[in-house]
Amino acid sequence: MALPACLLVFTFLILPFFMAFGLSLTNQRLVSPNPTEFVGLDNFKKMLGVSFLIIEPEMDEAGHIKLDNEGNPIYPRVRNFTRNQEDFPQFYKKREWFQLGLQDGKVLVVLSQDVVFLKALANTMLFALVVCPVQAGLALFLALLINQPLRGINIFRTIYFAPVVISMVVVSMLWRFIYDGQNGLLNTLMQMFSFGLFEPIDWLGNTSTALPAIMAMSVWQGVGFHMVIWLSGLQTIPLSHYEVARIEGATRWQTFRYVTWPSLRNTAILVMVIITMQAFTLYPQIQVMTRGGPLDSTQSLVFQAVIRGYEKQDISGGSAISVILFLLVLSISLFQRYLTREKN
Amino acid sequence: MPAHKLLGMALRYLLLIWIAMIFIFPIVFMVISSLKPDLQLLSDSSSLRAFLPVGDISPTNYLSAFDRAPILLFIFNSVLITGITIVFSLFLCSLAAFSFVFLSWRGQGVIFAIILATFIVPFETIAVPLLLIVNNLPWIGLEGIKNSWINSYHVQIIPFIADALTIFLFVQYFRDLPKDLIEASRIDGATWFQVYRRVIMPLSGPIIATAAILKFLMMYNNQLLWPIMVVQEESYRPVMLGLQYFFQLNTQWGEIMAYLTIITIPVLIFYLLLQKAFIASIASTGIKG
Amino acid sequence: MGQVILKSVQKKFGDLEVIPNLSLIIPKGSFTVLVGPSGCGKSTILRLIAGLEDATGGEIIIDDIDVTHLEPSKRKIAMVFQSYALYPHMTVAENIGFGLTLAKVSKKDIQKRVSEVAKILQLEKLLQRKPKQLSGGQRQRVAIGRAITRNPKVFLFDEPLSNLDASLRGQMRVELTELHAQIKATMVYVTHDQVEAMTMADQIVVLNQGVIEQVGTPMDLYDFPDSLFVARFIGSPKMNIMEGEIAEKYFCQKLGVRPEHMEISKEEGLLNGSIRHIEKLGADTLVYSEIKGYDTITARVVGNLEMKIGDTIHLRFDKKHVHRFSNGNRLNTQF
Ligand SMILES: Nc1ncnc2c1ncn2[C@@H]1O[C@H](COP(=O)(O)OP(=O)(O)OP(=O)(O)O)[C@@H](O)[C@H]1O
Ligand SMILES: [Mg+2]
Repeated sequence: MALPACLLVFTFLILPFFMAFGLSLTNQRLVSPNPTEFVGLDNFKKMLGVSFLIIEPEMDEAGHIKLDNEGNPIYPRVRNFTRNQEDFPQFYKKREWFQLGLQDGKVLVVLSQDVVFLKALANTMLFALVVCPVQAGLALFLALLINQPLRGINIFRTIYFAPVVISMVVVSMLWRFIYDGQNGLLNTLMQMFSFGLFEPIDWLGNTSTALPAIMAMSVWQGVGFHMVIWLSGLQTIPLSHYEVARIEGATRWQTFRYVTWPSLRNTAILVMVIITMQAFTLYPQIQVMTRGGPLDSTQSLVFQAVIRGYEKQDISGGSAISVILFLLVLSISLFQRYLTREKN
Repeated sequence: MPAHKLLGMALRYLLLIWIAMIFIFPIVFMVISSLKPDLQLLSDSSSLRAFLPVGDISPTNYLSAFDRAPILLFIFNSVLITGITIVFSLFLCSLAAFSFVFLSWRGQGVIFAIILATFIVPFETIAVPLLLIVNNLPWIGLEGIKNSWINSYHVQIIPFIADALTIFLFVQYFRDLPKDLIEASRIDGATWFQVYRRVIMPLSGPIIATAAILKFLMMYNNQLLWPIMVVQEESYRPVMLGLQYFFQLNTQWGEIMAYLTIITIPVLIFYLLLQKAFIASIASTGIKG
Repeated sequence: MGQVILKSVQKKFGDLEVIPNLSLIIPKGSFTVLVGPSGCGKSTILRLIAGLEDATGGEIIIDDIDVTHLEPSKRKIAMVFQSYALYPHMTVAENIGFGLTLAKVSKKDIQKRVSEVAKILQLEKLLQRKPKQLSGGQRQRVAIGRAITRNPKVFLFDEPLSNLDASLRGQMRVELTELHAQIKATMVYVTHDQVEAMTMADQIVVLNQGVIEQVGTPMDLYDFPDSLFVARFIGSPKMNIMEGEIAEKYFCQKLGVRPEHMEISKEEGLLNGSIRHIEKLGADTLVYSEIKGYDTITARVVGNLEMKIGDTIHLRFDKKHVHRFSNGNRLNTQF
């Protein structure tokens, strides 16, 4: 009786899962004149490999550092290294990811063959790192707020949860208006509340604000979901626990700290894991709002996997990203296992 | 009630209302804007008029949205795909859960563990190889034999029928049903399928509702990545892909708002009617912890 | 009709051996009661007969047919569960008729049979209700009704009355006994309750850790317990068991005397001590005494007793009422 469902799971979940592993070790393309070859870990090396280049300011004959018109030291161009196959084969065809200033005016340049991927990786991790605590915290705050015995409280619960049932695609479209640089609602509201002091920002067109803007919107959409999970955790705490705390004269903070929070431990782990998984699979927001831009500042792993695996028909590249994404998710959930086991 | 208590109460409500506005304003903006011509829409959004149905209010945007894209077709597609997936998912997943809980067969434990493990595989990570698979699967349909699943309804349905969460929800629920009932029906002479159909399913109302709602949210709202990959023909597109039509040639924001409203409001109404069940179904995913 | 034979039946749950090796004949038409301490395997035996568990070894024979590997529904048995196990989504009539519905019996015949059964159990007025709308006793009757409908050769009851309150239990006891007399099927009945066992059974099987200690009529077990275990298990309050000097006098290791065979005597004898506790039950009185050299000894005296706690007491008994045990087994030889 389990057969049909198992068959479906195996064909459409487990088989592609293992295929992703297999494909990530080849150079397969969707349509290709050349036969597929086994290339080992090449895809991963290409994506994850970084090399470090230390450049020093240029010197004149007298041994002084050359300065440009604004008084900044002049550095050799990174291009000189990456285009020069003969002298620097290790840097050939690589691109600059970022620079770090070291002492003595030296600069460390991190080079990679696949900067876009690394940016996607970094953005995805950053997204998860910020969204998880913020969303979980806000959700808990809302749950505590909703858990009060006030008249009509269910109306508020209904409203706070409403964005959850709306598609992320729709939400992303809507927020494109809100974040718009000229007529965006957010700018309007900010200007109103700051009495005109606020300078309008093109939230999604700016490398420094685009990712935070997407983070904020994601929290807005998902916080109700986790509020409900917190709420169901809160409601398993017997009323008598609170009554005991009251009789013993606990303050509101103490009650939360010593009665509520300890009972929520498992809920907390669950909430964190769900949010992390959702955060790692950041996709529709990017697809609808920025398509990775501006200047790759909002690239995400899933978006890159789709771009490569589908739009560029580079099946093996897309699969390799999938494998990395899966390993990330796996380590998170193993970490969760570890957390839950420790204290039981 | 003493004055300071009254004040505290008022403050709490103020906070609640203020937060409620944060959650509601984009939705209100969407609906209101869908009724305004573009020029007014843009100028209104620099003031609070953005949230008020003032000025030139008309359903024009809706009419031209229908002209621009075959909206009814998209809605039909989405509903069809979601509906069929839900029906098959409920049936096959509950059947699988039934056999995991009530029957004993070799390899049961291992297979259940494997299925549970797929829970942490995000769909996005397998989309690309899955594309390869469906691209090479044959299909026998009304129009004869095809050698690929691309551009069809079933390519959007079949891969999503069975999933770990649905099976798991049913397994949890079945485990809590009294075992005596099943034994009694065995003695009454029921076959395993009869036990499933006549005893277990009639008792599974709550979990069926939960699983259906979760599946609905997963399907209807997320039809983006996969359809982008496997559907090129207009006639099989779901609503989320319909958005593309509104960005070709002179983009009309009012029309976009109208389209967003059309595809969102039914879900919201559905939610408002069944909100207890919606919220309970999300809460029940929390039992896992 | 309905003889059940268990031949060297064994049952293991993984490594746990619940029934090491059990052989038992349940005569047709008998009312056989299985008793024993919790966890001794009573339910397991019942479920083996029903076919809800597969035997690890041995044979189960019902009316000369080997049913060891047969499906529960093919064994011509019916079972009544402690929890009643009524289908919550079906009416009483549907519950009672479910087995027939599954067997594709025509609607008319089902209806006929259901109303017959309902009449036997006085359920006529409740047929359209759901189990939720019934009282405990009514649910119990529906569960029995469901069993009767199938016309089984053997009825299996697993502690069917334990969820009922005391007075209802008494009433159902009588009803079940009458039902047995009326339909004359074999009944196998598991219980914790001494009174149920003694009053309903015509054969009692005492189990201890999956092994049969003794099989016999209630009075057999009461008057001639084969082992110390049975002696202690049957009868309430428990038989007094004494060791030491007094047992040696009777040439055994342990000497048993039932409380009602203990008498209060005026002069000092073998058992002397003081009263620790008195329970007045109305018709008779239980006296618990601290006897020098022995544990607490219970005596049951008819009527009221004009003594109080702390009073000195002397007990005696007639030697024709003693039960002698060595190595846990009964000594039947005269001394
Ligand atoms: N499915 C099972 N798996 C493992 N062990 C079991 C199973 N069913 C019963 N047992 C074990 O078998 C032994 C006998 O159980 P059984 O239910 O037959 O006892 P019982 O005599 O009916 O007890 P009670 O009077 O408490 O109902 C117990 O130790 C129990 O733990
Ligand atoms: Mg039992």
